[in-house]
Amino acid sequence: MPKFEMKTNKAGEKLNVVMSGSIDEDADFTQVNLGGAAQIEIDMGGLKSINSCGIREWIKWMGAAPSAKITFNNCPKVIVDQINMVDGFLPANAKVLSFFVPYYNDESGTEKNVLFRMGTEFTENAVTPPAEVKDDEGHPMEMDVIESKYFKFIKK
Amino acid sequence: MLLTLIPLLTLSVYLFLAVKIFEDDKVAYVFDSSSNVSGAMASQVKAQLNSLLNEAKPLFQDYLTNNEFTAQSRLIFSSGADLEAVVAFPWNAEHNKFEKSVWVEKTPHATEGILLGLEKFLPEYLTELEQSGRLVKVPYLDDRLFIFEKIKGEGESKGIVFLVIASLPEVAEMFRAQSSQKLYLISQAGTVLFGPDRSAGTQLQALFPLRFLDNKNSKVAQGAETLTDTHNTEWLVSYSRAGFGDLLVVSSIEKKRALGAVEILIRKSLIFFGVLLAVTAIISLLASNSLTGALTQLFEATRKVAEGHFDIRVKVKSSDEVGTLADNFNLMAAEVSRLLDETAQKARMESELQTAKTVQETLFPETEAKIGPLSIAGYYEPASECGGDWWHYCQVGQKIFLWIGDATGHGAPAALITSAAKSASTIIERLNINPAQALELLNRSIYDVSKGRIMMTFFLASFDPETGELTYANASHEAPFLMKKSEQPLKKKDLIPLNEVNNPRLGQARDTKYKQTTVKVDPGDMILFYTDGIPDIRNAQKETWGEREFLKALISVNKDYPSAQQSIHRLVQLIQDYRQGEVLVDDVTFFVVKNDASV
Repeated sequence: MPKFEMKTNKAGEKLNVVMSGSIDEDADFTQVNLGGAAQIEIDMGGLKSINSCGIREWIKWMGAAPSAKITFNNCPKVIVDQINMVDGFLPANAKVLSFFVPYYNDESGTEKNVLFRMGTEFTENAVTPPAEVKDDEGHPMEMDVIESKYFKFIKK
Repeated sequence: MLLTLIPLLTLSVYLFLAVKIFEDDKVAYVFDSSSNVSGAMASQVKAQLNSLLNEAKPLFQDYLTNNEFTAQSRLIFSSGADLEAVVAFPWNAEHNKFEKSVWVEKTPHATEGILLGLEKFLPEYLTELEQSGRLVKVPYLDDRLFIFEKIKGEGESKGIVFLVIASLPEVAEMFRAQSSQKLYLISQAGTVLFGPDRSAGTQLQALFPLRFLDNKNSKVAQGAETLTDTHNTEWLVSYSRAGFGDLLVVSSIEKKRALGAVEILIRKSLIFFGVLLAVTAIISLLASNSLTGALTQLFEATRKVAEGHFDIRVKVKSSDEVGTLADNFNLMAAEVSRLLDETAQKARMESELQTAKTVQETLFPETEAKIGPLSIAGYYEPASECGGDWWHYCQVGQKIFLWIGDATGHGAPAALITSAAKSASTIIERLNINPAQALELLNRSIYDVSKGRIMMTFFLASFDPETGELTYANASHEAPFLMKKSEQPLKKKDLIPLNEVNNPRLGQARDTKYKQTTVKVDPGDMILFYTDGIPDIRNAQKETWGEREFLKALISVNKDYPSAQQSIHRLVQLIQDYRQGEVLVDDVTFFVVKNDASV
């Protein structure tokens, strides 16, 4: 399991956090204090996994900034799954601005993660997937998720 | 004892060898020294006597020429400091013997008396002279030395015997000098000419058995021997031939006196040896006691360990190998003791876990059941002895309740929460409440038990056989898949996640409210309830099964809408085929419910 790491950059009331690794019981969120930040941007592109103990720590950490405007960027599938499944993982004051959707081609076995961006591939209550996703060899790829489950958080 | 004897023996051997070597060396030194002295004395005697003869030889020549000592001879004689008299003994054919004729003398009329005194010895002397050609005698106990020299002129058959009488007080004094080393000037016959302690005139053989005198023709100029006298006293004797007549210079020293230094050495060595021995014995005894004491302790300790008393420790404080051995023994015993404690603790915990597992198994329902129109089949496998997953079904009134939950983590702590959930469910079952209300109660129960430290995802549904409606509430659990019966084989798009409502996990907050919703489950429809351990299943190559393969398997096993039992058996088989015996990373629980009601 890659070690969990956070890199921060605070500019005024805006806090940027870049996360990577695995969120588990050893993840130390206390290294970044969310208090005092009015706007928090979290880049989750580097996260690889999260377990139930990590979810508990995550929710506790998110609860430290109840009034801040929080945005999630580049959410990988493991995070989207948790957003959909665990109530409170995505706080009420948080929005997902971009997330990855896995595609695959069953015949060639190729996989690809396509970034869905707010305002382009999805809005606050609707998803508009790309008309066609192809792998590097031009084979058409299909979405590797159950849409009614994976996009559930958008339609909430 | 051995430690004492070994140094004792070693030191004794050393002392014996040291003394022996020293004694031999000392004897050699004494021999060398006395040989030098006797040699030097012999040389000096020879030189002195040759000098005398050289002074007398002109007189011999004068007599041979003139048949008398002329005035010139008398003048030469008077200038010779040591000469006392020179007497000529020509051959008297008439008497057939050598007879004195004329002489020169320093002291007038003295020679006449001397010759009278010698008269009875002269035949013997002259006989000896016939054999040796030169004879040296000291017939009186004074410093005078008599040299008989036989000289033959040309054409003479008998020759003339000259007697040279000389006074040699310095030479005599050298031999009389008192010291530990005694010097003798002797003849080949052993007669002492000059010597200490009134020995002159005696036979030296009376003191020592002088073996070197036995061979009269010996050409050995110098030698040394260890001799024992009549009193059994050992003497170191050396001799040197003077090279003048048959004279020898003999040097003797009592061996005991010569080796006095050796005796001192032995005495001092014995004292040192005694002290050393005592110290060695004391140290050996102390060391031996210390060593044997420590080893005895270690022996006793190992015996106790062999009897199973691992709490034994030895108290050895030495810093040598035995001390290190004792320290290591203590460490080993402590480690064994600790490992035994740990093993006992582990065995106790394993026993307790086994008991917990047995108890937890009672929390789960029969894996296959038929309640009303619903067929139910399930599978549960914990990742360790106890698991954090739990599933359950029961009938409350006409409704059939379906429960599935997953506590945070797995193992004993999670298992305890499942136990709390089961307890709460037992009470809830008796209440006529809906799934949302049931989850509220369940949440409060979990929260009170875990105090927010352990949470549980949960999905609770109730099926009403009358209406075919499934009412469910979700506490952040994996949404079950509803598989609607169709004329077509099951496809991915036919999987309907029951995720219309969702609320926080049980135990996250005490007063959480839960929403519920209703979905129609028609005859032939199936629902898969599961926990998130399924996609995490790994094969022997540590490759995760993943959600895609899980969904493929789900569709595959249910494509013909089999019975709940068949569905479970097929899915379990696919999972086992993939796992190939690999251990689980998370608990795996799933069950299938099928509405078997006829249309």
